[in-house]
Amino acid sequence: MILLETQQLSKRFGGLLAVNSCNLEVRAGEVHALIGPNGAGKTTLLNLITGVLAPSKGQIRFDGQEITHLPAHARVHRGLARTFQITNLFKNYTVRVNLELAVQARRGSSFRFWQPVAKERALTEEAFQVAERVGLGRRFEVVAGQLSHGEQRALEVALALASKPKLLLLDEPMAGMGPEESARMVELIESLRQEFTILLVEHDMDAVFRLAQRISVLVYGQVIATGTPEEIRANPEVHRAYLGDEGGAA
Amino acid sequence: MRWPLLLLVLFLLAFPPIASATGLEFYQGLLTKIMILALAASSLNLILGYGGMVSFGHAAYFGLGAYAVAILMREGISSGWVIWGVAVGLSALLALLIGAICLRTRGVYFIMITLAFAQMIYYLVVSFKQYGGEDGLRARRPEFGLFELTDTALYYLSLAVLAGALYLLHRLVHSRFGRVLQAIRENESRALALGYPVFHFQLVAFVLSGALAGLAGALMAHYTQYASPNLLAWQQSGHLMMMVILGGVGQFWGGVLGAATLSIVEEVLQDLTIHWQLGVGLILLFIVLFAPKGLAGLLRRRP
Ligand SMILES: Nc1ncnc2c1ncn2[C@@H]1O[C@H](COP(=O)(O)OP(=O)(O)O)[C@@H](O)[C@H]1O
Ligand SMILES: [Mg+2]
Repeated sequence: MILLETQQLSKRFGGLLAVNSCNLEVRAGEVHALIGPNGAGKTTLLNLITGVLAPSKGQIRFDGQEITHLPAHARVHRGLARTFQITNLFKNYTVRVNLELAVQARRGSSFRFWQPVAKERALTEEAFQVAERVGLGRRFEVVAGQLSHGEQRALEVALALASKPKLLLLDEPMAGMGPEESARMVELIESLRQEFTILLVEHDMDAVFRLAQRISVLVYGQVIATGTPEEIRANPEVHRAYLGDEGGAA
Repeated sequence: MRWPLLLLVLFLLAFPPIASATGLEFYQGLLTKIMILALAASSLNLILGYGGMVSFGHAAYFGLGAYAVAILMREGISSGWVIWGVAVGLSALLALLIGAICLRTRGVYFIMITLAFAQMIYYLVVSFKQYGGEDGLRARRPEFGLFELTDTALYYLSLAVLAGALYLLHRLVHSRFGRVLQAIRENESRALALGYPVFHFQLVAFVLSGALAGLAGALMAHYTQYASPNLLAWQQSGHLMMMVILGGVGQFWGGVLGAATLSIVEEVLQDLTIHWQLGVGLILLFIVLFAPKGLAGLLRRRP
């Protein structure tokens, strides 16, 4: 079953076609990697899918329904959650409050004006479970801005997990990480595979070939190839356009 | 916080009889004005401090509340409760219309467009000659049924309204809604990515804030028995904003502390020198440079 599908999706910034008639299919249950050189339009594509940007042209279908014009917040409630390439947290709030906000967004209405939210045990409990899951249980009361880079990236993922999405969009989760931190993130994503469909934007080819069942290659805003890791490795066009400069050994 | 607050409330409750016994009625009036301005400033602090929405047009709701009193009294409607209902309802409606448009902009544009709307309201009201034009309009005090609105009754009424509004605001900022409102201020794109309809939260806060400002404006009209165009002018917006900055942006007691301090400082300096505005400016400059959380932040730092 196809969970997410973009059809002829385009985004124009002035004279630049950042996303150009892009057709992408993500199947339910898979880890689908989206690779491509810097500036290929990967982040822009995620912004279109999540509704942060409005497309200039084309359609987006998710979970059997068209969502092209649905506002961003409504897409989260349909089951789309994302992480940001550049860490995007409530830096002045603790891990706990960051995650409680994420849980609250999903559970019940937030137009409640009277009861103190700090006393809602259910929010705290679920927030703590998510923190444990990404290895931040012992850092629960630490202010997000004071976490290490790797921990902040983990919290970034946790915020998306807390909304229990059908599709998890990860924008370069390993960005700016050292080898040790990267290895931990790969492990974390591996542990999520059973439960979530994942669209993974990533530069680290080792990680991509290890995690993904299918890979799409984006160049100049267009998907030039989609296939299994083996097919992508063997694709001469992909080599010319992209993998070549990463070392043809792959 | 609990003991000082209790003492303050006891002091405020006991003040009128003491004042009349000692001939200090003037200060009872000053306290009434401060409580009314504290309500207006606290309402602004909800959107400016907690919501991160720098509205430079708060005078529109404040002034509209005052004009609602004056106009309804002139038209022969003299029930205070009805008048309050209209004042609050109209201010909320105005905030809904202005907010729905302005909240599509951000940053400097938001500041300018809220100011522009408030100026439009100002010129609109001043252009109605039958409502006094630039001279303003006399606003007799309405009837509240249970009691006559004497100066002392107005003092206690203002105290009760301020206390009620502060209690409401306290519940609000610590509720689910309040937490989201502040989260949006902290990081809007993150709040949106979590699935919060940012615009709706901001608009609800904007309307609540406008409604409370309208109530403060109605009280101000009772106090001065007059609806002045000055209440609608941009200087009034700036004045309320100064109170919030002085008292503490996003600090719960910021509006109250700012209104009290600025009113007292103005009163004192006005007597001492004709250059009193310079003094006020210097104090504000000091706060902005050295105490970004205002007086409330300074008080809180002590153990
Ligand atoms: N908001 C924007 N306004 C104008 N140009 C943009 C904007 N966002 C991205 N771009 C441009 O679009 C192109 C694709 O960017 P991006 O999607 O960030 O690429 P990637 O994530 O693949 O590195 C780049 O040339 C970038 O400069
Ligand atoms: Mg990118």
